[in-house]
Amino acid sequence: MSKKVVDVNGKRLVLSNLEKDLYPSAGFTKAHVLEYYSRISRFILPHLKDRALTLKRFPEGVEKEFFFEKRCPSYRPSWVKTADTFFGEKERMTVCLVNDLDTLIWVANLASLELHVPLARVKFRETPDSMVFDLDPGDEADIVGCARVALILRDLLSSLKLACYVKTSGKKGLHVFVPLNLKEAIFEDTKKFSKAVAEVMQRNYPDLVTAKMSKEQRRGRVFINWSQNDSSKTMICVYSLRARAEPIVSFPLTWNEVESLESEGDPKKFEITHSEAVGRAEKVGDLFGDMILKEQKLPYL
Amino acid sequence: MPGQSIWSGTISFILVAIPVQLVKATEPGKVSFRMLHNRDFSPLLRKMFCPEENVIVPPEEIVRGYEIGPDKYAIVTEEELESVSPERSRTIEIVQFINVEDVDPIYYDNPYYLVPSKGGEKAFRLLVEVMRRTGKAGLARLVLSEREYLVVIRSVNDVLLLVTLHYSDEILPYEDILPKATDSNSNEESRIKKIIKAMSAEFNPDKYANEHRKKVAALLEKKAKEKAQVEAPEVPEEEEEGVVDLVAALEESMRKAKENR
Repeated sequence: MSKKVVDVNGKRLVLSNLEKDLYPSAGFTKAHVLEYYSRISRFILPHLKDRALTLKRFPEGVEKEFFFEKRCPSYRPSWVKTADTFFGEKERMTVCLVNDLDTLIWVANLASLELHVPLARVKFRETPDSMVFDLDPGDEADIVGCARVALILRDLLSSLKLACYVKTSGKKGLHVFVPLNLKEAIFEDTKKFSKAVAEVMQRNYPDLVTAKMSKEQRRGRVFINWSQNDSSKTMICVYSLRARAEPIVSFPLTWNEVESLESEGDPKKFEITHSEAVGRAEKVGDLFGDMILKEQKLPYL
Repeated sequence: MPGQSIWSGTISFILVAIPVQLVKATEPGKVSFRMLHNRDFSPLLRKMFCPEENVIVPPEEIVRGYEIGPDKYAIVTEEELESVSPERSRTIEIVQFINVEDVDPIYYDNPYYLVPSKGGEKAFRLLVEVMRRTGKAGLARLVLSEREYLVVIRSVNDVLLLVTLHYSDEILPYEDILPKATDSNSNEESRIKKIIKAMSAEFNPDKYANEHRKKVAALLEKKAKEKAQVEAPEVPEEEEEGVVDLVAALEESMRKAKENR
C-alpha cells in the first residue's frame, strides 16, 4: 500500500492509496477526491459543522461494495472532534464531527465519498435546523418532474411566507429545504408539517405527486418523502460527492435555474460534476448560506 | 393506557437533558352533555351577543377589556398580552431538589406523567431510579399553553409524576374565616383523640367510587338501549386548530396559486 505523509494545518496526516481509481470509468482517483474536498472545503464545512457524520465508504471504488459507518472509527487521530450520541433508541455511540479541513481530508482518505448528516446538530438532536422535502422520482418519472414539483412547492411555501432552497441530490432527485434555525420546532412538528404539505400536493396534483412510499404509487410520479424529517435520518450533505460512474455532486441551484432547466426538460443538465461544482461555488459563493443563517417559524402549529 | 402526550421537550438540570413527553395523569369523572336544539336536535353553538345593538358579534369585532371602574375598561390587545406571556420553551429545567414532604398539599394543582421520548429511555430510567433512591423531588419551571408553572417532579414506580403548583399568591388566607378562639376542654379533647384512633385505617382510594357518576352512567346505558336516540342533521364539521388549520391554509394557497398559473 502506498502512503504519503502530509501536513494539514500543522497536523500530520497519512494518506494512503492516492492513485487508486475510485471512479474507474471517469479515471477519478483518490487524489482527485481529496483535491475536490479540499477545494470545496470552505463551502461544505459550515454545513457539516457539529453534525453526526455518517460515512459511506467505498474502499474499492464506486463499482465495488460500500458500507455505512455511523460510529467514528476507533483508530481516528486524537485531534478528530467527536460527540457522544445515541444509536437507535438505547445504544450509545461516538460520532465524528467534521468541523475542520483536517478532519474532512481524513474522512475523505477513508474513501468516504459520500458525507451524510442529520438535520439537527448533535447537541440539539430533537430540534432540526431545517425541514426537508426529499423529491424522489418513481419509475418512469425523472428529475425534470422533480423540478416541476419543486416549483409548485416553492410557490406553496412562499404563500405561507416560508423561503426555501433547492439542491440536486446528485442522483435522480431534488431536495427542497426550509431553514428554521430557531431550535423551536421539533422533528414531530416538521414531520407533521411536511406530511400535510405532501398530502395537499398529492390531492391537487394526483398525476404528478405522491406522498406514499409504495413503489406502485410512485410509478410515473414524484414521491415527496416527508419522512426524512426524523432525528434518526440523514441527508446527503450539500457539496458532497455521490458514488456514481461520474463524480457528480449534490449541488445547490437558484430557483431561476430550476425554472429554465425544467422548461429545457433535459435530465442530464441537472448533473453538476466536481469541476463545475468548484468553479461555480467559487464564482457565486454558497447558495445554501441561508440554510445556516435564516430563521423561520412554521405557521399553524 | 394513558392519554396522548400534550407537550414534548426535554427535562434538564446542569449537564443532563432527556427528551420527554407530558401525559395527563387524571381525567375528571364528569359526564359531559352536548346542548341540542329540541326541534331538530342540531348541536348548538355559543355566540357572543351584544344587548345594546341586539346583534350577534363576530369574532373579529371582539376585543378584551379590563374593568377598571363602573363602565370603564382598559382595552388590551392580543399582541400586548403576547408580549408579556412567557417565551415558548421546550425545556423543563430543574432548579432545585427538595423533600417532597415539605410541599403543603394545598399547593398541588394538576398532575401529569412524564415519560421518555425516543432516545431518552436509558437516561430517563436512571433519573427515575436515582430520584427514587434519594427520595428527593425536583422543583422546576414549565411553560404550558402560554403560562409558566412552577412544578414538582417526583419518582413514582417507572415514571416521573409532575404536578403543577399554585403560586403562593394564589393561596387564599384562612385567618379571616376563622372563628374567635375559645378555651379548650381537655375531656372533650381526649374523647376526640380516642375516636380518631378508633377510626384510623390505611388510605385505600379504591374503596370509594364516584357514586353519582355510576348512576349517570347506568342511566345513559339504559337510555342508549331504549329507542330514545335522536339524530342530528348533517352539518359540515367545525374545523379544529392545529393540522386542520394548516391543511386549510395550504389548500387555500394552492387554490390561489393554481389561479395564477
